[in-house]
Amino acid sequence: MLTYIIRRLLMLIPVLFGVSLFIFFVMRVVPGDVAQTILGTDATPQALEQLRKNFGLDLPLYQQYLDWMGGVLTGDFGESMRTGKAVLPDILNRFKLTFELTLFAAVISWIISIPLGIIAATKRNSKTDFSLRVVSLLGVSVPNFALATVIILVLSLYFSYSPPVGYVGFFENPVRNLEIIIIPAIVLGTSMAGAVMRMTRSSVLEILRQDFIRTIRAKGAKERVVIFQHALKNAMIPILTIIGLQIGTLLGGTVIIEQIFSLPGLGQLVLTAITQRDFMVVQGAVLFIAFIFVMINLLVDLLYSYLDPRISYK
Amino acid sequence: MKKKIWLSFLMVFAVILAAACSNGKSSSEGSGDTDKGGSSDAEQVLKIANDQEPAGLDPHKTPAHSSVRIYSKIYEGLVTFDENMELVGQLASDWEQPDDSTYVFNLVEGVKFHNGREMTADDVKYSFDRIMDEETASHISSYFSDVKNIEVMDDHQIKFELEQPNATFLTNLTNSSAAIVPKEVVEENGDLQQNAVGTGPFVFEKWVPDNSVTLKKNEDYYVEDKPKLARVEYYTMKEEAARLSAIRTGEIDMTTLTSKSAGLLGNDDNVDIKDYQSLEYSYVGFNVDKEPFNNEKVRQALSMATDRESIAKVVWDGKAITTGPITPAMGDWAIDVNEEDVYMNDTDKAKKLLAEAGYPDGFSTTITTASTYADMVDTAQLLQQQWAEIGVKADIKQIEWGEYIDTWSNTSADILIGRNGSGTDPDRAMNYFFSTDGSANVWNFSNEEYDKLVEEGKRTVDPDKRKEIYDKAQKDLLELSPNLFLVSPESYVAVRKDVKGFTPHAHNAEDIDQTYKE
Repeated sequence: MLTYIIRRLLMLIPVLFGVSLFIFFVMRVVPGDVAQTILGTDATPQALEQLRKNFGLDLPLYQQYLDWMGGVLTGDFGESMRTGKAVLPDILNRFKLTFELTLFAAVISWIISIPLGIIAATKRNSKTDFSLRVVSLLGVSVPNFALATVIILVLSLYFSYSPPVGYVGFFENPVRNLEIIIIPAIVLGTSMAGAVMRMTRSSVLEILRQDFIRTIRAKGAKERVVIFQHALKNAMIPILTIIGLQIGTLLGGTVIIEQIFSLPGLGQLVLTAITQRDFMVVQGAVLFIAFIFVMINLLVDLLYSYLDPRISYK
Repeated sequence: MKKKIWLSFLMVFAVILAAACSNGKSSSEGSGDTDKGGSSDAEQVLKIANDQEPAGLDPHKTPAHSSVRIYSKIYEGLVTFDENMELVGQLASDWEQPDDSTYVFNLVEGVKFHNGREMTADDVKYSFDRIMDEETASHISSYFSDVKNIEVMDDHQIKFELEQPNATFLTNLTNSSAAIVPKEVVEENGDLQQNAVGTGPFVFEKWVPDNSVTLKKNEDYYVEDKPKLARVEYYTMKEEAARLSAIRTGEIDMTTLTSKSAGLLGNDDNVDIKDYQSLEYSYVGFNVDKEPFNNEKVRQALSMATDRESIAKVVWDGKAITTGPITPAMGDWAIDVNEEDVYMNDTDKAKKLLAEAGYPDGFSTTITTASTYADMVDTAQLLQQQWAEIGVKADIKQIEWGEYIDTWSNTSADILIGRNGSGTDPDRAMNYFFSTDGSANVWNFSNEEYDKLVEEGKRTVDPDKRKEIYDKAQKDLLELSPNLFLVSPESYVAVRKDVKGFTPHAHNAEDIDQTYKE
């Protein structure tokens, strides 16, 4: 197992190297100039040139890449061209919020989707099953930005409520933090719940049809025991796969949700940086997100073998 | 094991429910109180929602409006405009002009920077040296390219000598970026992007990126009774729906709005909508090097085929007026454009002009616009319909803002829809955008006579003579039509009713020096 983990971690190197090359050159190819964006239409050509020089953009491309990578390897991701702030601490700081949001959204979606998925499976082809399937389809198909905007409008118009402005961290003020994060998390969670519910349903159904379940039932086990002790554990592998994939999607989904709910997370950071062509921030953030993605995948793979001892990694 | 997992799920859910069910108002007010340490002026906190995150707080380096609106409360310059757009002193108590190209400013005594040090003439010299230093790459360095020498006479007197008379010098000093900054803070931090220390009515407290900027009252402010607010909190809320909902529920006290949203809030008993004529205008820009736009008649024909009134009606809900290159909000400087031939919506005349130019059947072209701004896209669509009537078939190409700026500066589009700020001095509107060497003349437009005229405008210090020159220059520009000037929209600020002492002006839409909460 340990060798497997080490091997997977070593594989990170070429993956991240590829990502770094890709994002570096893509950002150079995209039209739009950071100096012009920063200085606006009022800039004189001299000022633009000077600013590009200050950022090292006058150097040859390979030199710029090497300088950046040299920094990254020593933990220095450079400075934001827009705000002059160090990139890495900013990313880590922003990630706290995005992580919290993703975690809450995931938990909310599990609370909704796994029990409902099981109910739908055990009451197959009943009215309950049918309505749950419609609901899950809705969850999958309603885009979360639309849901977010509708929720904001409904809350303010009919309940005179809007999420409080000004984000505070969980450890600073947990109640206020939850109050700020709860609605975005619900919006994000529901979009994930649909997919997980569908997967739970089909996966539990699949297991319930198998011989060993029949044997357990024949032995007189209670239905609760059949479902929770035997069926669910075996059904978890495909559910886990989709959860792993969905967490990745959630990380992406936060970009829009953070923007709509004015939350200062990683998603907002990347979005602003892209529109402003703040190369340093985009490069650093994309590299970081790629790293997180690979780590989540690794975690999911390790959970497989925990859930099903037949799966082992060497 | 399973029981434990379910139990923790349940607990998390309970916490979430508790948070969701708690009354939003009371808890936010509660935390507000803790923020202010329960002081008696706790309620004198103004919460403003902005649509953009500030790009940095260095006044010499950052032209973004999202930054200016904040640092203009922290920093001050030598002179400023009052509400009638008359020049008045700010850090300069008064000034004299021994000759047309020399200005001597007497500084207000006893002004302190927010770090407690007294501001002197040395700081003024340092600030302008920094602006004009190439290394700073300041966006306003060209404003002061005529400055030959700056001399500190004594602690409270400073002399500026220009190469030649320049009527824009004083108005350029009113620019928020021509701020007086303390040398030691710049040297300590490299620049002022993260650390703002000025002489203004508000002191920079903290900036939480993509979230909020907090300013507090300058207790040592040299102007008596100002400011009235104890704190100002700026929140970045990019989504208009979120801003609307937050001002409805009282989460925030003030925000800017588009004309469409202003209508939505119109019936709210707790919110006032304050509108004012902006200094901005929308335009159609032509690449005058390219066919057929190198032909003046084609541009004039398109101008005549354009119904500006319907643009004001459809795009801006009727809250916009027709304008030339100098917007009506600039007062006497603007001419009445509705009298001009090229502004008359006359399809037959337009067709005739096109035929004279050699395009009796019209032509095909592409209108480029920024997808980011709904008004620009709407304008492009209207123009597409209107121009079709004279046989001009236009495709619309929407591009993202970063690419748009690139397209603008490289003149790589044939026709570009855009918006400009006409500034506070006619020189910006006329010289800077349209003279051959103007920094923002990206249209390849060049006309020797026009260049001479606007140069003369810049060098003429007598206001009456200057007005005559710019009247002629505006008419010439309308006739030559390198841009079609469309309309100048109204701007809107939504304010909660308990906010008093606030009136937005075109050149200072967020003047909160006298603002307080009841």
